[in-house]
Order: sequence, then C-alpha cells, then structure tokens
Amino acid sequence: MRFSKIIAAGLLAGTLMVPIASHADDKPVVGLVMKSLANEFFKNMLEGAKAHEAKRGDYTLKAVGMQSETDIETQINAVESFITEKVDAIVIAPADSRALVPPLKRAVDAGITVVNFDVSLDEKAKQEAGLTLAFVGPDNRGGAKLAGDALAKKLGQGAKVVIIEGNPGADNAAQRKLGFMDSVEAGKLDLLDSRTAHWETEEANTLFSNMLTAHPDIQGVMAANDSMALGVVKAIDAAGKTGKIEVVGFDNIPAVQPLLKEKKMLATVDQFGQEMAANAVDKALGVLKGGKPLEGWVKTDIKLVTSDDVK
Amino acid sequence: MDSTDIDRSPAGRADFAAVSKTVLREAGIGLALVVLIIVFSVTTQHFLTASNITNILTQVTINLVLSIGMTFVILIGGIDLSVGSVLSFCAVVAGTVMTLPGLDPALAVTLAVISAVIAGIGFGLFNGFISAYWAIPSFIVTLGTLNIARGAALQVTNASTIYSFPAAFNAFGSRTIYGVPVLFLIALLLVAIAWFVLAKTVFGRVLYGIGNNEEAARLAGHNIFFYKIAAFTICGALVGIGAIIYMARLNIASPIIGIGFELNAIAAVIIGGTSLSGGRGSVVGTLLGACIIGVLANGLILLGLSDFMRQMITGFVIILAVILDKYRERLTKA
Amino acid sequence: MENNQTMPDGIRPSADAEALLHLSGVRKRFGGVVALDGVSFALRAGEVHALVGENGAGKSTLIKILCGIVQRDAGEIELAGAPYDPHAPGDAKSAGIQVVHQEFNLLPYLSVAENICFEDMPRKHFGMVDYTSLYAKARKALDAIGLADVDVRRPVESLGVAHRQLVEIARALMGESRILILDEPTATLTERETQRLFTIIAGLRAKGVAIVFVSHHLQEVFAICDRVTVLRNGASVMTADIAATTPEQLVSNMVGRQLAAAMAAEKTVDTGGKTALSLRNLRHPASPFAEGVSFDLHYGEMLGIAGLVGSGRTELLRSIFAADVAVSGELQREGAPRSYRNPGDAIADGIGFVTEDRKEEGLILSMPIAANVTLASLKDVSRLGLVDKNKESRLTQKLGGEVRLKYGSPRDAASTLSGGNQQKVVLAKWLANKPRVLLLDEPTRGVDVGAKAEIYALLRGLAEQGLALLIVSSELPELITLCDRILVMSKHRIAGEVARKDFSEEHILNLAYKDERRHGQH
Repeated sequence: MRFSKIIAAGLLAGTLMVPIASHADDKPVVGLVMKSLANEFFKNMLEGAKAHEAKRGDYTLKAVGMQSETDIETQINAVESFITEKVDAIVIAPADSRALVPPLKRAVDAGITVVNFDVSLDEKAKQEAGLTLAFVGPDNRGGAKLAGDALAKKLGQGAKVVIIEGNPGADNAAQRKLGFMDSVEAGKLDLLDSRTAHWETEEANTLFSNMLTAHPDIQGVMAANDSMALGVVKAIDAAGKTGKIEVVGFDNIPAVQPLLKEKKMLATVDQFGQEMAANAVDKALGVLKGGKPLEGWVKTDIKLVTSDDVK
Repeated sequence: MDSTDIDRSPAGRADFAAVSKTVLREAGIGLALVVLIIVFSVTTQHFLTASNITNILTQVTINLVLSIGMTFVILIGGIDLSVGSVLSFCAVVAGTVMTLPGLDPALAVTLAVISAVIAGIGFGLFNGFISAYWAIPSFIVTLGTLNIARGAALQVTNASTIYSFPAAFNAFGSRTIYGVPVLFLIALLLVAIAWFVLAKTVFGRVLYGIGNNEEAARLAGHNIFFYKIAAFTICGALVGIGAIIYMARLNIASPIIGIGFELNAIAAVIIGGTSLSGGRGSVVGTLLGACIIGVLANGLILLGLSDFMRQMITGFVIILAVILDKYRERLTKA
Repeated sequence: MENNQTMPDGIRPSADAEALLHLSGVRKRFGGVVALDGVSFALRAGEVHALVGENGAGKSTLIKILCGIVQRDAGEIELAGAPYDPHAPGDAKSAGIQVVHQEFNLLPYLSVAENICFEDMPRKHFGMVDYTSLYAKARKALDAIGLADVDVRRPVESLGVAHRQLVEIARALMGESRILILDEPTATLTERETQRLFTIIAGLRAKGVAIVFVSHHLQEVFAICDRVTVLRNGASVMTADIAATTPEQLVSNMVGRQLAAAMAAEKTVDTGGKTALSLRNLRHPASPFAEGVSFDLHYGEMLGIAGLVGSGRTELLRSIFAADVAVSGELQREGAPRSYRNPGDAIADGIGFVTEDRKEEGLILSMPIAANVTLASLKDVSRLGLVDKNKESRLTQKLGGEVRLKYGSPRDAASTLSGGNQQKVVLAKWLANKPRVLLLDEPTRGVDVGAKAEIYALLRGLAEQGLALLIVSSELPELITLCDRILVMSKHRIAGEVARKDFSEEHILNLAYKDERRHGQH
C-alpha cells in the first residue's frame, strides 16, 4: 500500500510540474486541491467545479486529486507546487486537518488567497502556526444529527441502535459520530455498539452481520456514509429482518436511491457535494475581486433526504 | 496392544508414518481452528448459533475464493498482490454488462459471469506472462498490476458505483441451504476442484515441483513458462469468480472495493501452512486458514473488543500461525 | 613409513604434545547422514597441514565445526590446551581461527576495501565509516599478499574469480590469526597466482601461524605441506609427514579397499557400436571460441570428459541437453541433425542428464522418492492428466531394485535418503525414461564408497545394454576405471583424446593444464 502511495505521489507531483506559467491571460488562476477522486463524492464535486469554471468563464481552474483518502503527501506537494506557480487562490479540501496547516500558511504568506472547504483545519494547529483561515463547508455534525433525529423520531425513546463509523482519525468521521451521539442523547436512544467499517461496503456488511448476532434486538443503524449503509441493508436482508431495522446514511449517493424508494433505508443526508467545491471557488473569487475576507465558519447547505424526495 | 496385526514390513510402517505426518500437518491448523471455536463458544453468548455460523461462512467466502487462487501462485513461489484491484475491475466490468439496458436478466447475468472471469484471466495471463518471460519477480509485476487494475476500474466507471442488478441475482447471494450459504458451497466446490488438481494431476505435481526446485523441474523436461502462466491465470479466473460472489452478496460493483483483499488472501494461505517460498502446502490448509481469519474477525466482535484491539490481535494471530508452522515443520521432518 | 603413520580412534600420539589444535573422536550427523565418524587430527604451530580426501569425506564438515558454523555431536577439541567449543563464527575469530571458504563469502556490490575490513570497519564520530583509514588498511592488506594492482575502491563484482579468491584471503588475514584454514584455495587460481599464494603461505608459516590446507591437487600438497591427514567416509584414516609418504599411498587411503577392488575390475574396451550422438563445432554461449566441441559417441561406449573446473565440461553437457541452447554448431542423433529448443526436446529424443548438483538441479528434496523418480516420465504413469499413484509406486519399486536403492517407502521424501541413495534416485529418474544416451555430470560426487562401487557397476551394466554414456568427472581414477576413451577439455575446447591403453593421470593432467601453462609463460 505504502509503495503505491509513493508512486502515486511521485506521478502526481510530476504532472504538476508541467503547466507552470501557463496562465498568460489575465484570468485569475484557482488551484483546487481535492481528496480521493476514486471516491464518487469527490469525483462529482470535481465535475461540479469544472462545470462551474466553464459557466463563469472568468477564471482558470487547476485541479489535483489524490489516489486514496489518506494520501497526505500528494496534497502537500500540490499546495507547494501551486505556491511555486504563483496561483491567485488555493481552494482545498484537506486530507488531514493538521498536516496541511504549515504549507497553507506558506501559501497565505506568499499572498495567495486560501479557502478551506469540506473538512475544517484544526483550530489549535492554525493558532500555533499563526494562520487565520475561514472554513467553508457543511456541518457534518449537524447533518448527522438530522439523520439521527429522523431515526429517533421513527423508532421512539429507548430504541436500540448502533453506529457504523467511518475511518478512525478522519475529521468528518469524528464529526458525524458526534452528530449521531447528539441524536442518541436528545432522542434518549439506547446505543448498543459503535464500530468502524472504514467507509467500506463489504466491511460494513460483515461488521453489521456480526453486530446483529451479538445484539439480535437492534432496531436502528446510523451509518456514517451511504457505502456502508448499502452493506448494512444487505446484511439485514440476508438475516431476514427486512423492514424490521431502520437505517440512515450520509452523502446521498445514487446507489441508495432505490433503497430509499423501497423503504429499506429511512434517510440519508445530502450536503450538495457537487456544488461544494464550486461554492468555495465562488467565495475565493469574491475575496480576489476585493470582497471582504472570509471569517469563521461559512456553513453550506445540508438537507435530509427521505423516500419522499426520491421520485 | 496385540502386535500381530500390525504391518511390520518397512514399507508399511513408512507409509503409515507418511500418512500420519500429512494428517498431523493439516490437523495442526484444524486444531487451532477448533481451539478458537471453543474459546469463542465459551466466552460469547451467540457464537455457536446457526445464524452466526451462516454469517461466518458468508464472510469467509470471498476471501476463500481469492485464497484458492493465491495458493496456486504461492505454491510456485510467486505472489499476487493485484487480486483486490483485479476483483474490483472484474466487478465493474461484470456490473456494467449486467446493467446493460434491454438485456434479458438471465442472459445479462450469464454474460456478466463470463466477462468477469475473462477479465480475471486476462490480468492473470498478463501477470504470469510478464513475470515468466522477463523473469521479473511477481511481487513487482503484480504491484504494478495492482495500480493498473484499480486505475482501469476507476476509468471504466468514472469512479461511480454500479447497482440495480437483476432481483434474482441479488436474492441468490443471500440464499442458504440448511443454513449454509449457497455462495459458500460454490467456494467449497472450488476448493474440492483445486484440491483434486493439485493432489491428483500431473499438472499439480509439476506445480509443486517447480515451487520446490524450478531448475530440477526444467531439466526434467517440463515447460516452466507454461506452468507459471497457468498458475497466475488460475488465480485470475478465481478472482473473476470472487468478483461475481462479491456482487451477489452486496449487490453493488464499485471501483473502490477490494482494497487490501490481497493481504487477507495471503494471510489465509500462509496460516494454512503453505510456504511463502513455494512448493509446500495444500488448498485444504488454505480453507482452514480462511476459516481461522473469518472466525477470529467474527468472534472478536462478539467479544465486544474495540476495533483497534481486534486489529492488533489479528496481526498477532498471523505471526503466531507462521511460528507454529515452523515448529510443525520441524516435528514432521524428524 | 609405518612409524610415521598415526592411527586414530582415541590413541593420542605422543608427537602431538606440541599441538596447537587437537581433535579426537569428533562425530557429526545431519539427520540420517553420518558426516563425521570419528576424526582425530593434530595441528602444530608453524606447520602447513594438508587435509585430503574425496568429496564427501567430511573435510567441509570438519572445517564448519572448527569455525563454529555447525556444532559437533561428540568428540573433543582442544585449542592451546584449553577446551574449544565455538558456537558461532565469531567465537572462532576471537580464538584466532580464520577460514577462507570454498564458496565465496564476499559482498559483490561493496568495494574491495569494504569487504576486506567488513568485520571491523574503521569508524569516525557517530558511527560514520572512516574511509581514509579504511582504504589505507585495505591497501596494506592487499600489498601484503602482493596484490598491488587492484584498486581497493573497485566493487568486488568487477573482479575475476582469481582476484576474488585473493581478496578472501586478504580479508581472512586481517584478523589476528593463529590458525588459517584454506578450503580449496587454488581451485580458481592460475598457476602464477597459485605460486603467489604459496609464497604468502610460506611467509605465514615462518611467523608461526598454523595452516590447514585443503586441496584435491596432490602435487600442491606435496609442494607446500609439511604433514597430511587423509579423511575417508568421515573418519581420519592416516596422518603422515609429507616426506615419508607418496601420492599413491594417499590415493589408496582416500579411496579405500572396496573401491580399489571395483576400480580394478576388468574392463573391455568397446567402441564398436553405432554412432549415437555426434557434435560438430557445438558451442556453448559461455565458450570464447567459435570452434566449439566436436566428437562422436557410440552406443555401448563410456566416454569420459576430463578437465579442470571451469574448463567447460558441465557447459558441454548442458548444451547437448539444451539446458542452455548452443549458439552455433550442429548436433546429430544417429547421424540426423537435431536442434533441441529445451530439455523436453532432448528427453523426447532419448537423452537423459544426471546433473552435477543433486540438490539444486537433480532432485526435489522435499517431495516423495516416487515423485522424483517419475518427474521426467509423468506421461507414463498418468492417464488423462491424472497421476496413477499405484503405477508410480510400482515403477519406483522396479527401478529402485535396478539401481539398488535403499529406502523405506516410495512416499518418503527424497531428503531422507543418504547422498548415495539420492544419486541413485536421480539415476532411476532417467532410467524411467528408457534413454538411449545418458549424460552424467560428476555421477558419484558426495557419494560414499559403497554406493560409488554400486553406481560404477550400474553404469557398466547400462553400457553393456547398449546405452551411450558420456561421463564428466573431476576424479581421474573414476574416469580411468570406467571409460573406454577420455576427452580432455580445456577452455571450452577438446585439448586431446586419450585411448584406454594410454590412460594415465599424468597424461590426462598434462592435456588439461596445456592451456594454463601456455598462459603462465606469457
């Protein structure tokens, strides 16, 4: 795994060196640093950003993605290359909330407008580095609470639930878990277990089957993303408990639409990923055009999606 | 204690010794599995229930199928790091075929199965040919293939998940016969076939020979090139079948599935007593190895251990299995 | 002469009161194989003591025990009057025992200097290598053995084998040595380099270092050594002053009575059969000469190939068998030209190849005896791709009888057999294929004397049945005993042919060394 990352980082760093000084026209250049493009969510986000660039036509977009969720080196290399290229703005979805602080500080010092979206950089790390940077992004915790509340409302007080977590150490995974915990507390749910399935379908399927053995009376599941929710639903089917256990997810990926429709899933949360990067670019361009610098947390839209929203 | 019935001819005694050594080898792994099962049965409430056993068998299936293929490759002294990525490529190819508009569901599934196996065979041929023709260690070749297949899967699907397979196909993946998942029975059938090929055929004999002493096998007139390619191709075909099993079980195909599957498959083969340097081991051991991994994963969750503890214990068990194998080797050599 | 011979088995000779190193009754088994069966041996300070014996006599095992690589099962060793019991190579080194092994122990990608000083690298602060003193030390070491023309910064990989051997010796001499063991140090050296080595040895002897000199070349033993000990079948059978013994006496002690009898067996020359195999300028890829090798081999004939190590004997057999494909020239079977692309083609054409190295090329040690016997003839014991284990066992028992194989069950691993019986399994493997031409490379290497006599009888029987046998051997007595004709190879070419009536070790060695001499005079 390690090798593949190094190779990928090398390749990406290589490709970045090519387009130096290609912005002869006066359009501002925005460097977009994305997370894993193997993830449908970020892939769609990138496509949204590209459509946005074509639509606005008043800036040049340079996008870089990573090979996997945890490939931090690639992001750092990308930021450093953008500094060398003297882009006007960097819009970044950081893979790590601490490791990216020093290179972004260098970018800000180099006079580049930096917008942080998707996952917030760590407050303490920012403070220590003397970096003040706003965050444009959805409230993962709030979103998870929306889904959790929907589940609590459906099941009622005292219902037995479990949480399927994302990657341990990932900020959005931690935020979503906190949101689910908020719902557990507010809805007075009985939380039986909370474990990670590393965002993955097969692992979630295995994990939930085993949880179900340990706790045959589970009534509800809160999955930190939809890929894992898919595995959970399949495990419920295999155990012959279809309709007896409610599932909520997060992300609103296309593959869960049929499940929502068949009521195998109660709800998911849409954080409008497709527009998220484009929104962040808009904010960066606003600052570049002489607008007020961003401050604090600029929250983006989130919405609960249920069977009513699926045609 | 009556000694008159005992075959006292040297040949008879030696045969008995040979058989008992073989039994001892496999029994060692089997014993470890039994111990694990007993421990979990005593310490957890639900381990030894019909539905949990069904679960374990379901969870073991994909790894088992990949491990069978991996056994062939490791027996000739190779390794295939690409199985996880190739599985995802085969799955997205099969998923694309299966969801082609306007196809009769039965035909769509048939074509999907064929295309998955062909895709797997294609990557197997590629791995085998490159490592045999240019004498490049398969570790390196398959490390390359790992990236190629993953990239190809992402390219083909544009990173999106494929779903909405025919309902009968989706239902098939959850079907059980007397509590035994049909998918597991398929894997068991594959184990039986692989066992037969390795233990009874000339082909299997020569594979073991190559793993032990490639030069001796070559000088005995065997075409090493062919056998090497064949081992990787068999592995590839099994990855294709594994992809179909994945899809039947989870009803999706995605370019990001199967990450790290190769390591589980290698672990199952090694725990099963197959030597990483080739030439020694059996697919029955691999079956037991895969079961040990599955039982461990299941039992540790039922025990309520934290995720991180589980991961550590799984790692220790892999190392422990290999250490035990060293002792078993010494025992059976004497 | 009788007075100078000291017999082993617990009798401690009075002359050895001055011994620096003293071994008595040392024994060692590897599994079922007895490697050392009672070795007694005394080494004095300031002497060069030859250790001779056939392959498999136990010389290598003895050296491994002395330098702590393996531990003895029984027996006593005293070094300077104190018990000596090394458990690791480091123990031997700190006791002042240095060994130059037969196989190279150099690190090919490191420089000559790094290799020479590897055990004790000069250091600066923080463990950094002090290259200045490293190179100086290595330079001094090489100069001391007269190797002034080698740059110490060169990677060892770029040196020829002879120079590598000398670097090994320089490395061994780096440590404080009381005892220096040289295991076949001249095997890869030319005559000139051998002379240089002898000068070094003489210098060390003068300093009081005790030297154990292991060699196959009796003329070297007589040229440089003070005393000699002969090992046979793992036991020391004779120790004598060089001045008081003769090469003939050493040889007869090395081979023993049983083999001497087998060797004395009457042999009728047979070259009358039809031509089985003809080579016309066949050239192995490693051969520097385009002319290659040409000769005819007849059915019923036993044709020997003699020559020094590295003279291209093994390569010749490999090119016939297409284990390595010849780059030019022609091969004919019964007069018809053939071009085999791989060993499979050669096998299909009735050729078998008993390779030099059983463990690397001949056998699959961990697999059953039966599987080894049928490895080249699986077609005959299988149907529709399935191995018929009964048929396989029957064939193994039949051939096992023919080659007088001593074994438990056909299902036992080949590794459980002794060296001689392993070699018989290799023979049985080829006989299973009913070959018409059998190529044999060192057919009795590492085989005990009893098995050797049996293999000789077996090979004679095969020739009588009309098989054509081509035998490569480093042991001249073996070729002289068995063959109808001997071809002598030198530098990948036939240096001469000797008919049975003209057989003599001297004649054959003269031909083998012909090119070396010429080289030395330049």
